[in-house]
Amino acid sequence: MRDNGKGGALTEVTFYILLALCVPRHGYAVMQFIEEKTGGRLRLGAGTLYGALNALSDKGWIAPCGDENGRKKEYLITAPGREIAVKELERLRELTDIAARIL
Amino acid sequence: MKRKYRFFAGFLTAQERWLNRMAQQGFRLVRTAKLLYEFEECRPGQVCYRMEFIGRKSGQNASRYRAFLEDMGYRTFYKNINLNYSVGKVTLRPWAQQGGRIATNATTYNRELLIVEKENDGTPFELHTTYEDRMQYCRDLRAPWLFLFAMTAVFSLTMRAWQWGVFAAFFLIPTALYQIELIRLGKEAKTKEW
Repeated sequence: MRDNGKGGALTEVTFYILLALCVPRHGYAVMQFIEEKTGGRLRLGAGTLYGALNALSDKGWIAPCGDENGRKKEYLITAPGREIAVKELERLRELTDIAARIL
Repeated sequence: MKRKYRFFAGFLTAQERWLNRMAQQGFRLVRTAKLLYEFEECRPGQVCYRMEFIGRKSGQNASRYRAFLEDMGYRTFYKNINLNYSVGKVTLRPWAQQGGRIATNATTYNRELLIVEKENDGTPFELHTTYEDRMQYCRDLRAPWLFLFAMTAVFSLTMRAWQWGVFAAFFLIPTALYQIELIRLGKEAKTKEW
């Protein structure tokens, strides 16, 4: 399976989740962040978000943070996660730079 | 207060449609039991429902998932998929996550379904939105049927008994339906630009 860490593109959902978690957020706040930033274009189902948070957590791109006893579990991006997000930003920047020059 | 007795077995979409119809008529769920659905009055269309099959998750995963949904501001209700009256039941689910799990009354036995209720705010209500996740959920739905089909098919072949074949043919129907859906999703998920 193609892994988005090895030079491939991140999916929009993954990228937005990583961006949302640059500050500690719980699930609902992540969902709100994405909806707000995209003006409601991208809506994430709760089940999908739950799966994504677990998968990214397993990969080590994000990690649970803060008080474990708190009812709402918060996540925060990790150093490897941030690296992946920055790499994606560079890839996108290159693409938009070239496109903007041509179009 | 309104009480209704219904049994939907594995027909999740039928159950979901019925609950949403009740909500449209101004009844929201307050309690569920084996066959019972207890409603109270609300504004028509105030809430909407989605069904979620969680029988493949471990007990811990199921309750974590439920807590996550409740944190999202949804109300959730556990529901049984079969009609088992039992106390202290222990059963093996070979089709569950990670090569099978043991389900008991303390975990997801008789709590195979989750009814998720959302206050209607005009935005669409879907629990699974990406292709990857929808396909995963479709696999979860297919798993018990596929297992039952495979088991009965093996029985009918090894014992040369047509009776098992009848069961196998029956279990093949839902297996095939979910398989078709899975293939459809897989095709749709593929980006094909030339």
